[in-house]
Amino acid sequence: MEIRIDGLTKSYHSEGKEIRALDRVDLTIPANRIFTLLGPSGCGKTTLLRCIVGLETPDAGEIAIGGEIVWSREKKIFVPPEKRGLGMVFQTYAIWPHMNVFNNVAYPLQNRGVAKAEIRSRVARTLQFVQMEGFENRPATKLSGGQQQRVALARALVAEPKVILFDEPLSNLDAKLREETRKELRRFLSELQITAVYVTHDRVEALALSDEIAVMREGRIVEIGAPKKIYFNADHRFVADFIGRANLIPGKVTALENGHAVIASEIGPILGRNSHGLVPGDEAMLCVRPEFMWLAGEKDKARNLFRGRVETLVFIGEAYEGEIRVGDRLLTTTITPTADLAEGDEIHISFDPDHCFLLSA
Amino acid sequence: MLKKPPLTPTLIVIVGFLTVCPVVMLVLGSFSRGFGTFGRFTVEKYVAAYTDPAFAGILVNTAIFTLGSALVATALALFLAYVNTRTNIPGKFLFGVISIIPMMIPHILFAVSWVLLLNPSNGILNRWLMEGFGLSKALFNIYSLPGMILVEGLLDLPIAYLIIAPAMRSFDVALEESSKVCGASNLRTLTRVTLPVLRPAILAAAILVVVRSLASFAVPSVIGIPGRIYVLSTHIYRVISTGFSADYGKASAIGMSALAASILLIYLYRYLTAESSRYVTISSRGFKPTLIDLKRSKYPLFAVVGLLSCVLIVLPVVVLFYTSLVPYAMVPSARAFSLMSWKNWSEVLRDPISLLALRNSVTLGLVGATLGIILSIFVAYVIVKVRTRASGILESLSFLSFSFPGIVIGVGFMWFFVRTPLYATIWALLIGYIATYLPYGIRPLSSAFVQIHSHLEESSRVCGGSPFYTMRRIIIPLLIPGIVSGWILMATMFVRELTLSVVLSRPGSEVLAVQILRFSEDGLWGKLSALGMIMIFISTSLVVIASLLGRKLTQMETVQ
Repeated sequence: MEIRIDGLTKSYHSEGKEIRALDRVDLTIPANRIFTLLGPSGCGKTTLLRCIVGLETPDAGEIAIGGEIVWSREKKIFVPPEKRGLGMVFQTYAIWPHMNVFNNVAYPLQNRGVAKAEIRSRVARTLQFVQMEGFENRPATKLSGGQQQRVALARALVAEPKVILFDEPLSNLDAKLREETRKELRRFLSELQITAVYVTHDRVEALALSDEIAVMREGRIVEIGAPKKIYFNADHRFVADFIGRANLIPGKVTALENGHAVIASEIGPILGRNSHGLVPGDEAMLCVRPEFMWLAGEKDKARNLFRGRVETLVFIGEAYEGEIRVGDRLLTTTITPTADLAEGDEIHISFDPDHCFLLSA
Repeated sequence: MLKKPPLTPTLIVIVGFLTVCPVVMLVLGSFSRGFGTFGRFTVEKYVAAYTDPAFAGILVNTAIFTLGSALVATALALFLAYVNTRTNIPGKFLFGVISIIPMMIPHILFAVSWVLLLNPSNGILNRWLMEGFGLSKALFNIYSLPGMILVEGLLDLPIAYLIIAPAMRSFDVALEESSKVCGASNLRTLTRVTLPVLRPAILAAAILVVVRSLASFAVPSVIGIPGRIYVLSTHIYRVISTGFSADYGKASAIGMSALAASILLIYLYRYLTAESSRYVTISSRGFKPTLIDLKRSKYPLFAVVGLLSCVLIVLPVVVLFYTSLVPYAMVPSARAFSLMSWKNWSEVLRDPISLLALRNSVTLGLVGATLGIILSIFVAYVIVKVRTRASGILESLSFLSFSFPGIVIGVGFMWFFVRTPLYATIWALLIGYIATYLPYGIRPLSSAFVQIHSHLEESSRVCGGSPFYTMRRIIIPLLIPGIVSGWILMATMFVRELTLSVVLSRPGSEVLAVQILRFSEDGLWGKLSALGMIMIFISTSLVVIASLLGRKLTQMETVQ
């Protein structure tokens, strides 16, 4: 089911100050896709999710789920959360501690008056789907973090909702488990053909899980796009910077070269992809990610070749993280861990013009 | 869009009435000329109260009594808490018993049992010592300030322990370990690191004991009055209960200083407990402190703890039961056992006033605790979940009564009830009880509400549960443990209530503790003990039934 949001606004009052959690948000979440709301803490992503579910009442605007308006100030419509027929996984999982696994998962069916035998078989099926079969009688307090997460997912899915919402569901798991669960979640959701709205502040999670990502900042949606588009070709400097580590180098466009442009920067001319149609004379910002820089030999004739000095070099196992001083500018780079390097070395670094892009400053 | 009933203002009015009304009435009363008429205001009651030549002595007694009790209770609690949480002493279950069970034994009975043991004329222990060592005079006289301090200190030991032990448990052992790494011994670590870090908790416990002993009436009346040692509470009691004209104005004027001191101390206490939770770091990983190996001192220390639990729990019950069976005070002997009978019991059970007291107390316990807990549920909900400025006011209001000395607040309520048809009915007692003991219901319920994360409620709504369904299946079941423990606490306190009842109880609205006090004033120890045993039995049954019921209710949900 498609979710349509129009002009949604919500403010909080805290210590006499008004905080705009949502600022006229317009958004269409496509049906049967995994859609992620990504942004730093306090950007309004959780508030937006809670408005969709019905746990918060916005100040203005309209929300429609699958064509049915569930909230509208003007039309005085408010469908309470229990009538919206959604599934949700909370950040804390919200597994009811006084019930066993069966009752937790059966709950959405029990209050809808589904027959006992039917409940039993649907709970069993859902538990099997999340690989928790045989845990029916386990008390909720005797579950590990990962198991709680699966039970929460089963509970959200058991009534076969058309939309499922996730509020940072992996943030309470440790790093290794988080990675595994992320992969599983991706598999579950793509099998189900369901509209999933996923809130996170973790860019890797967003990239790994989503069909589409909406990056939010200060109550507004800055940019929407598929993971690759956002990573390789963001329209906004904030998005480019937030979705991955980036070196942002300012300069002025001096020439165009079939789909690329040259900027004059403080470290010399740089060639990059010109996907936003800049013309000579424009102020621009070049974005190049550390992982696309490589060590070049002195004799290399590559474009975008720079000479610099290794200021710091940190070995992190899978790579070296280096800061290279080129002129007055420090560039962050990722260098292969087998390189024979030391702090203070004079080196050459380079990056492909196809692997960096220009933003308008 | 979601229209909410004005819950907070309603509760502020109810709780405000319960807590502010007696205080306002007390203030008005203290400036009034006669009882029942406010009319022209005067300060003559204050002049009379505070120029009384005996008053200075009473203040000195009160200071020695309260501070002494605080010292005894805190020192013992500190010892128990340290030994329990930090050493490998055997029989740790005893500590749980010591911290809970004595609360069920009514203070007046505890005091009476010590009188029966240590009074100078026929105290059982005194008699034994006199016979054993051929002494001509009793060794101990319970009717003295040290006697009062000992008994009150033991009575307040559990409450001090319940404050100090959790602080000690959540104490970050790394602080101690780093002291040892720096080369300090166990003892030096204790005195230089552990105790200073725990200082806010220790001070808070001591202050609470001071407040409670200032409000205490059982010990000063049963032990102090026969020894002619008066403290503030018994002084007030003397002013309103003896002579031809009870002087409620003068009692109010005296009460004002006790109330002011209490409120001041409770604010200090709340500040210190906030301080102590800031001081003590609770580690999220379940760490277990390394226990100090007591080696050879293990068993002597265990003997001390065992003796203490014996003195606190077994002794009072045994002494009372024994006294209820013998015809007059006598040392246990073959003759005493041959004279034993149920005579005292059958006399008490045929005494119409005792029976009325029994019925009133049970009614007050059941009805009062139920009403009190219903009010507490709403108040705790607003304090924990609503969290507005108004709910802050409600929180302060509801904890105000924590500092009320029962007898003083009783006098305040008296000024109010005398103008209403409630005067001399058990409803007056009911209202007074709920007002005074409301914090005891609110505390377990607010901690229950704290545990109910808002997500638990919200996820039920998203899962299709209506607000009412959510209430029934999620909130109430999660609250039941809190409701049960709050109800037990209130019911047992109401069944044994003395200090407030001594003022508010009138012919027709007698209650158990007051009837026991009358028996004690008349020296009818046998009847007293029989009625006391019945009282303990009722309290214990209430506890058992309520816990079983609570367990049943929680099980229903998991079995379903």
